[in-house]
Amino acid sequence: MLTDLSQYTDLFSGYTELRYQENSGLSIGFLQGDNTTNAKGSSGGVCARVYQNGSWGFASSPDLTAEGIRFVITTATKNAAFLDQKEHKAGAPLPSSVYNAKQDYSTTKPRLTQNQLVEFMKELDQYIAARYPQVTSRWVSLNCSEQKKSLITSDGSSAYSLLPQSFIMVNLTVEKDGEPISLSEIYGGRGHFEDLFSHPEDLSPEIDQLVEHLMQKRDGIHAAAGLKTCILAPEMAGILAHEAIGHTTEADLVIGGSIAGSYLNKEVASPLVTMVDFAHTAFGETCPVPVQVDDEGTKAEDCVLIEGGILKGFMHNKESADRFGVSPTGNARANSYVDEPLIRMRNTAILPGNDDLAEMIASVDDGYYLIRTNNGQADATSEFMFGVTLGYEIKKGKLGRAIKDTTVSGVAFAMLKTVSMISKEFKWLSGGMCGKKQSISVGLGGPALKCELKIGGR
Amino acid sequence: MEKRETTAYCLNALLKAGAEQAETVLYNTERTELNYENGEINLIRTTVDTKLQLSVIKQQKLGKIILNQVSPQAITQAIEEVMTITEGAKPDPAHAFAEAQPAQNFTKGATTPDLDLMYQRLKTFTQTVAAQFPQTFLRNIYLNFTRSNSSFRNSNGVDFTTQKGIYHVSATFSAQDGEASSSFNYTGYSTLDLNQELLEGGSLRLLLQNSSRELHPIPLSGKFTGEIILTPDCLEGFISSLLGISITDAPLITGTSIFKDQLNQLVTSPLFTLYSRPVSPEIASGYFFTSDGYAAQNSTIIEQGVLRTYLLSLYGSRKTGLPKAVNDGGAYVVAPGEESLNTMIKGVKRGILLTRFSGGRPNRNGDFSGVAKNSFYLEDGEIKHPLTETMIAGNLAALFRNITAVSQERVNFGHGIYPWIASTGVTISGQ
Repeated sequence: MLTDLSQYTDLFSGYTELRYQENSGLSIGFLQGDNTTNAKGSSGGVCARVYQNGSWGFASSPDLTAEGIRFVITTATKNAAFLDQKEHKAGAPLPSSVYNAKQDYSTTKPRLTQNQLVEFMKELDQYIAARYPQVTSRWVSLNCSEQKKSLITSDGSSAYSLLPQSFIMVNLTVEKDGEPISLSEIYGGRGHFEDLFSHPEDLSPEIDQLVEHLMQKRDGIHAAAGLKTCILAPEMAGILAHEAIGHTTEADLVIGGSIAGSYLNKEVASPLVTMVDFAHTAFGETCPVPVQVDDEGTKAEDCVLIEGGILKGFMHNKESADRFGVSPTGNARANSYVDEPLIRMRNTAILPGNDDLAEMIASVDDGYYLIRTNNGQADATSEFMFGVTLGYEIKKGKLGRAIKDTTVSGVAFAMLKTVSMISKEFKWLSGGMCGKKQSISVGLGGPALKCELKIGGR
Repeated sequence: MEKRETTAYCLNALLKAGAEQAETVLYNTERTELNYENGEINLIRTTVDTKLQLSVIKQQKLGKIILNQVSPQAITQAIEEVMTITEGAKPDPAHAFAEAQPAQNFTKGATTPDLDLMYQRLKTFTQTVAAQFPQTFLRNIYLNFTRSNSSFRNSNGVDFTTQKGIYHVSATFSAQDGEASSSFNYTGYSTLDLNQELLEGGSLRLLLQNSSRELHPIPLSGKFTGEIILTPDCLEGFISSLLGISITDAPLITGTSIFKDQLNQLVTSPLFTLYSRPVSPEIASGYFFTSDGYAAQNSTIIEQGVLRTYLLSLYGSRKTGLPKAVNDGGAYVVAPGEESLNTMIKGVKRGILLTRFSGGRPNRNGDFSGVAKNSFYLEDGEIKHPLTETMIAGNLAALFRNITAVSQERVNFGHGIYPWIASTGVTISGQ
């Protein structure tokens, strides 16, 4: 792999970032017991981004020879010059930021072969088939990825990182009166497979719990539409933090008219709520998507977004930080070598509180406990929605019947003011992805929240 | 090596390494892209990429490897690896590659971008929007030209090559009036040339016109079962969701499809006719061959409400015993109806003009729910006001069964052509 890019800095003629990146991985899938997917792949190359008087040029190529690297630097420079000549922005130089770091989250254990992983997944699939004949459809898959990056900038920053992630996804379906009802779960997170999974049977308790939820959902009811008191499980609070609040506080969205722009240093949430976009470490542990240095070469710092209910700051790259007169926060991230860095979240979380989840549920007379989500979207107005794939009604402080798939929505900066309890328990969601132009891995986490939400139903 | 030489070399090497059947595909892509963000054209991108895909079947086992380094050493290593992972796969007699077909070379579009014209079109677009829609703020616009070439070969004798050059534009925007802001909206389209101004393609003008009308939205109160008119931008997502849970490989193989055993039966309103036309001249993008190696053909999926084909791949077909589709779906074209959009709106007693749907992924039984974005409340045949904090819920199969009208007007997005459709029986809930 290409780790030393320093020999190419002579080709820089202005502010320039030069990055090598390789994304590789494997996928194995069993559909109804058949091994339908058995693949591996890699995509690597080099890219350059150049800034000239307020205009940017970018170029990328899979050609890793000196000629390929020269091509991306000269093409990016040419692109910036073309735009500068057309636009005449006379933009100020970018703030300088120098940092050097190396992060490698590789396993130290012996690596399994893909064929051994096929056996692991086959065994997991067979466990479900043998134990749960009432499951009419099952899709069991494994996705392992590895993202390697080397960066050098004209400021003098340099970085190397290797981030592995491994996820097992189980999607199960049962039928009721001829209608399919399904539920899925993702296990795993940051790390090579060997650091996360040992034996297929270790996952049996989680699978058993998934099937138990699915059987409850089979006999579930439609949620009643309207504004309801809800307990959001930690996974749901994580997606709330990302979708509903996080996006509105990305500086490029703030410049683009996000409602958060007018709320800085104002009360936007209950005083119980504090929310942070962590760079790499939270609560003394490494985050799901740790970033030491961003793809502009800036040292990644934690970014406090809400503190005690007050909106405190936004996430920045160099250009937006300069515009706002603050320091860059290290949020410029690119997903692959063909991508330019954008302002992206890293590990966004609402901080835990002092309440007990069981007591939170017991405090609700008529509402819902919402546990799992499969997607979400937010607006610059802070109106958000996310899909709910698992939840239960709460009646007189006790969990009742499961609910069918639904969607919840609200206006984040109004809804956050309704937060009245926050649990001590905290959890990161597995497999978070964000799709802002480029699809990229993100960490999202939170405690359980008691709040008022609009629920879609019949 | 040239593309065809590379795929031929890989094919021979895989067979020599012990593959019983092999398939090799090489894609080269070069993209030139102009980016506009928050009031200025701020970036030009040139990206070059390669993708080499090697697939093997041996003793009914399947293995696949994808790489973008195509040096002789990288290819040799990839062949070794794909043979190894194939050995470790589990056998399935349904794995197969496409049968022999006549060799074909497909071409479409320009070979190089006109960067000056791209810049000029983008600049004119932003200036026109500023003049004609002063309350609309363009959040970002991406205008790109993508040149892609490919070579597809398999050991049964398939030998296709393609060259395509397509422009694509997409825009995200919202309206602002003092502190008031509408929800953002977005749209995009593909085109073979830049002969017309960007504003005149797809639904851009229409949505930008609506943008300022979405300021100062009002939430609905209560809950009712009402009518819904889906706009062309919105309809595409609903069609893809319906087909995804009903006529593709996974739901048919697992038996969870809501259209199981319903080929040649009425599954939607007779007012609804849906084609997939990946090789039609009216579709600027499209594709020439399927992912499993067949020359793509246009097809009728639903004809006046009757399901005419499933979208099964070769694997899905062998697994279910049902006919293979002649394409991979996509490039959808919905036949126009007989009513004007105005007449359709006049016919609504109480409902929503749904411009954008922000919803959870529908369940396999077709149930969906989500938020009506950039949408308008309809009552007694009139557009009353823009909406906020309004949710809708329903079932996809019921939504298409309950279609009451399809508009004469349609929008061509270059990757699909859609009208407005009206349906009933959707739960609409506000505060």
